Amino acid sequence: MRSLPLAAAALLLAGIAVATTSAAHAADAPPPAHHHDMASMQLLPAAGPLPGTSLYQLDLALEPADAAPFRLATLAGRPLLVTMFYSHCTSVCPLLTSQLQRLVASLAPASRERIDVLMVSFDSRRDTPPELAAFKSAHHIDGPRWHVARGSTSDVRALAAALGIQYRELPDHSFNHSAILTLLDAQGVPRARSEQLAGDDQAFHAAVERLVAGKGG
Amino acid sequence: MKGVRTALLCQALLCLGYPAAGAAAERLPVGPAELASVLPSSPGVATVHVARFALDRVPVTNGQFLAFVRRNPQWQRGRVPALFADEDYLSHWVGAGALGAAALPDQPVTRVSWFAARAYCADQGGRLPDWQEWELAAAADGQRADARQDPAWRNRILDWYAQPANRQLATVGQGAPDVHGIQDLHGLVWEWVEDFNALIVSGDSRNQGDADKLKFCGAGALSLQDKDNFAILMRIAFLSALEARSTARSLGFRCASPSEAPQAEHANGGQP
Repeated sequence: MRSLPLAAAALLLAGIAVATTSAAHAADAPPPAHHHDMASMQLLPAAGPLPGTSLYQLDLALEPADAAPFRLATLAGRPLLVTMFYSHCTSVCPLLTSQLQRLVASLAPASRERIDVLMVSFDSRRDTPPELAAFKSAHHIDGPRWHVARGSTSDVRALAAALGIQYRELPDHSFNHSAILTLLDAQGVPRARSEQLAGDDQAFHAAVERLVAGKGG
Repeated sequence: MKGVRTALLCQALLCLGYPAAGAAAERLPVGPAELASVLPSSPGVATVHVARFALDRVPVTNGQFLAFVRRNPQWQRGRVPALFADEDYLSHWVGAGALGAAALPDQPVTRVSWFAARAYCADQGGRLPDWQEWELAAAADGQRADARQDPAWRNRILDWYAQPANRQLATVGQGAPDVHGIQDLHGLVWEWVEDFNALIVSGDSRNQGDADKLKFCGAGALSLQDKDNFAILMRIAFLSALEARSTARSLGFRCASPSEAPQAEHANGGQP
């Protein structure tokens, strides 16, 4: 509560206009920049042009529970539901997983086959592939369309930043984080976003159905 | 104090273009220390250990950032994707590869996004400082490593906040050095930190009216300590309201690295 006027004052003083457009209404991007081989860290030498707001411009390496490491951008080509979590979370986080599962289960069977799910852990150190595999097993997560992975500390910070997810590690190695579910289209552009952990977010559900039923965005 | 002065060697070509601004970034050691952070790591935990690190003496300048974008054209205005920077990115420069009259080489670079600041630091063999590193360094004044309880220290910072945001920025290095030798942590620009998206405080400014406690997993948003310290709380409020692609006219950055970074001096009889 207290930080609201404070933040507003800070922003005014700094003369900033923070973009308030949500990812759900992500504006169409200008034509993408050309990518060069010399591109440092974040920029990926893309095979084809990507929209300027595509998350697939993040050059991130992911290590999944039970498969070979892959780059984030290799998920391009299909709609994707992406969120971040950590497997040792015992409080409200399991809700996020079950909400995701309910959402996917509620899609028409044909639609279900046309969307991928990505869960990336905040806990780069403890969420080893075996830990992630155990997490999948405990939550009955199965199938080739559901990726549960970790990344380097730096890559995880960048992905969270791009998704607008806040998180911090606490002394007991738990993580304090915002629970946000983002829908990316086949090119990696955010199309909808849900911060609703409890109950069903019908608008988000509709956005998923629309995107999957369409030509993939 | 003496010792780890990590000067990053400026590449000869770049220094020719901007002799002053292209000068080697100087990193000075800070810590280790037990910091009484305004953003405690956990309820009931009073201090946090900050390992020794090295921090740029002054913020990154226009001249230095220009050299960077010339070498890395994908970070030039007009070429950087919207994911990585908003439409005001470097908009006060006269061109994508030139500063012009409104951006002096020795002024701190501003209107840079978190992604761009991060790429710059990585290019320089460093990284952005995290919040607690920045907070530790910024607690100092010329005499004390932690001056935060001094009302005069607080008032000086608050006076700076009260200045109009559209004033001309001073050139870097004019602020009084603190006990670490570091300058301009207050009074010049706001600065990015690596974990700007870790500054979770209750009543997050981007979600006004959303009091749903389920929004955060884990321990939930932590309450701030030392609520009277507006000088520092303003920084947190500002940073926590940003997106990674945000830019602002008075928002710049400086880089950090482990204090064990290779020493650039005394390797050759003190040759500069």
